[in-house]
Amino acid sequence: MFRLYAAAAFLGLILPSGFVNAADIDRSKPPETPPIPNVKLPNIERFQLPNGLSVVAAEDLRFPLVSFRIAFLAGSKYDPKDLPGLSDNVAALLNQGTSTRNARQIAEESADLGGDIGAASSSDTLTIFGSCLSENTSRFLALLADVARNASFPDDEVQLQKQNRLQTLRAERSQAGYVAREALSDALFGPHPYSHFGPTEQALAALNKAALQSFRDTYLAPNNAFLIVVGRLPSKDDLKKLVTEQFGSWQQKTLPAYQPPPIPGNAKKLILVDRPGSVQADIISAHIAPTYGSPEFFPLSVGEMVLGGGTNSRLFQDIREKRGFAYDAHAENNSMKETGVVSAVTEVRNEVVEPAVEALNADLTVLSKQDVTATELTDAKDSYAGRFILRLERQSGLAEQLVRVETNGLPKDYLELFTTRVRSVEPDQIRATGKYWAPDDATLVIVGDAQKIQKSLEKVGTFELKKPKQ
Amino acid sequence: MFKALATLTLCALALPAAPANINIPIEKYKLDNGLRVILSQDNTLPVVAVYIVYDVGARSEERGRTGFAHLFEHMMFEGSANVKKGEHMRYVESNGGSFNGSTHPDYTNYFETMPSNKLAVALWLESDRMRSLAITPENLTNQKEAVKQERRLSFDNQPYATAIVDKWPQLAFQNWQSSHSLIGSFEDLNAATIEDVSKFFKTYYAPNNAVLTIVGDIQIGEAKKLVQTYFADIPSQPQPKRPDLAEPTSNSRAKSEVYKDVLAKVPGVVIGYAGPPRGSDDFYAMVILDALLTGGDSSRLQQDLVKGKKSVVQYQGDLGWPFAAADDYKSPGEYATFLVYKPNFQSNQIVDQYQDEVARIQKEGVTAEELHRAQTLLLSSKLNQLQTSLGRATLLANFEVLDGAPEEINSLLGKYEAVTAAQVQSVAKKYLSPNQRVVLAIQPDANAKPNAATNPQGGR
Repeated sequence: MFRLYAAAAFLGLILPSGFVNAADIDRSKPPETPPIPNVKLPNIERFQLPNGLSVVAAEDLRFPLVSFRIAFLAGSKYDPKDLPGLSDNVAALLNQGTSTRNARQIAEESADLGGDIGAASSSDTLTIFGSCLSENTSRFLALLADVARNASFPDDEVQLQKQNRLQTLRAERSQAGYVAREALSDALFGPHPYSHFGPTEQALAALNKAALQSFRDTYLAPNNAFLIVVGRLPSKDDLKKLVTEQFGSWQQKTLPAYQPPPIPGNAKKLILVDRPGSVQADIISAHIAPTYGSPEFFPLSVGEMVLGGGTNSRLFQDIREKRGFAYDAHAENNSMKETGVVSAVTEVRNEVVEPAVEALNADLTVLSKQDVTATELTDAKDSYAGRFILRLERQSGLAEQLVRVETNGLPKDYLELFTTRVRSVEPDQIRATGKYWAPDDATLVIVGDAQKIQKSLEKVGTFELKKPKQ
Repeated sequence: MFKALATLTLCALALPAAPANINIPIEKYKLDNGLRVILSQDNTLPVVAVYIVYDVGARSEERGRTGFAHLFEHMMFEGSANVKKGEHMRYVESNGGSFNGSTHPDYTNYFETMPSNKLAVALWLESDRMRSLAITPENLTNQKEAVKQERRLSFDNQPYATAIVDKWPQLAFQNWQSSHSLIGSFEDLNAATIEDVSKFFKTYYAPNNAVLTIVGDIQIGEAKKLVQTYFADIPSQPQPKRPDLAEPTSNSRAKSEVYKDVLAKVPGVVIGYAGPPRGSDDFYAMVILDALLTGGDSSRLQQDLVKGKKSVVQYQGDLGWPFAAADDYKSPGEYATFLVYKPNFQSNQIVDQYQDEVARIQKEGVTAEELHRAQTLLLSSKLNQLQTSLGRATLLANFEVLDGAPEEINSLLGKYEAVTAAQVQSVAKKYLSPNQRVVLAIQPDANAKPNAATNPQGGR
């Protein structure tokens, strides 16, 4: 009875009230529901200033708020070889002073406008973010432009950043998970600058105003930037005028050629990073994999959910629930502009490290050997599409997605078609992406107490023993 | 809505404030079994939040039953007639949603955010546990242990936590309903029988003691039918007795105590005063006063104590702190601030520095610029909260269960904007006076006895 109702409702039929009686429904299993809904995105306008600044404006009329992003193709992969972490430090210092405002003035002014302003960097991009009450849009744009164009890196703030970042780097490196990911970046990418993971102590010691200014002058340019604006906006013409007032006089720059070595292929590597005193072993099995834009991207992503997308997933059910080796086991899919990285991650007790690796490898082998079940497929699609949809409720969520579309050069209808693409993934397509998980050419990184676990790992293969970075 | 417009007109004369003209649609009705339902349709995105509040919190507990409200939050994830243990989480996740639940002094909540095609799944899950929670000896034993473990890890093993959770309410309140341990005592938990727990469930988890709020991508007619289908035949129960929360009135309730904390490395102090009645003009002025004292990097405490005097390291304050915030503050309640400070200062110096900040506002008032900044800060944080269906559902449900007036969501911003500098000064004088002040100093002491897992006031 309930099934009829759901189908009818989906077709938009009007039902007489009382059509479903409480007594008629089968409560023993979850109700059947219509398929994943499509997302109707707000009206999105795009335009470009003569200096090359690309502007994307998405209207969200629900509340008097506006969210901003300025994304530069200036992420950590552009760090000079001897100064890893430079992009990250530039980002941290952008709101700490400009030629006309000190750090406190920037903080107070953004508070007065009902918002905040900051920046962060990833592998590909350095992104300034901020938000304000919509009535203050024009003043906030002025503040944003000042931070983007005129950051001055005051000496005292640079010193403070060097000290504080050193402390946080030490804290990060005290965590096994960070050590594992740092070692993994090296092992996967070698000479390619995607191997840049974070700063080093040496690089922080060497950091100075000149290096920060040079990075700013090289990469923070209008022809290397995307301005994303989401919220209750002025008309397109008025917005264009406001943006031109603040960013129009910004000079174009000749960007240095970016010519990275090719992304390395997958090859079997076994790496053990010694961390004396570790009571557990952190395990990551990873591959270079397709990224956005590839026809394999959606099958790969849905497969990732089946494998390790939550408490329902194979890894969680096997490694944690069935075998009790670990508190958590999951899969990740980190997509960047030039490539993606997929990985299976777990942290296990020292005593079970060898059987845990064997179990993990067995789970990772299955995906390329047999189709996922119908239930797994439905759950994984619903789960993946749902996560996407839920994030769009906030302006910041939509702004992040638009940054992704623009900086990765994705088609303009990417977000609109996202759930449709998820829905259309077929089991054979997922099976075809199974090779990106297969243990035979995986990079396996284990961080743990070598004295305690090295012996038992001999059964898995010959590991290269490394010391954590200093 | 007319209220919001009226206050907006007033404040438009006073300062160039934002037009906080929001209009969240509200459809409120009641099922025959007494379940209150609030629907708010917004079809912008295919997302729906289902949020259930039960009108029972730690302050509803009886002597000898401390910790029951919190124990129930755990029991609610242990399965029901058609949803096996652990399946709640898996159903929500595999349908693309997120969920949680939490216990508060005056209510307990459970919620899911789902893609809107999954509304029926969320209602099925919530109705099944309201109808048929699995209260078995095995589940009860498990969850008693889980609660105790949570207490050991999250409270007894954390600096400040025992002092704040157990000691502070005893100082701040005289009425046992408010002063007993909100986490409960091991003694009471151990003594809880299946009959006790079943009775608590039957009494407080009945439809007539709950509010179901659904916000987001729904059609009102269809949503009503689904609610009818899943909830209408859950039987109602006699209306539970409400606790008497009244505090004795006294001219001076000034008090000060020291707690020796074996885990704290840095000293801290809690400073509190009896707060204004919820929803009064004083209440809104107090929220602004709090934003001015503690909100953001430009706040008085940040600029004067953290930066200026370099005495305080961190702080947090709120109406209802530590268990509630202005949104779900219920009278009688406290306005309290917790400050962690550098060891070369004494707690009384910090209390004096804090009281001096207050005194300056009592004497000199606040500038228009500062007032406007505090109001703007509050306005933008509220608007950010309203962006999500869950944020709106939470506010609507709070207003229903605490005030019986979900429509307050639409006048809230106007009320914050209408607060004047004179009102801020006036509430600082009226409420934050030293002879109404309660102080709990938390001092690091490596030799102190371990944080207690039992609480003398919790027992029978």
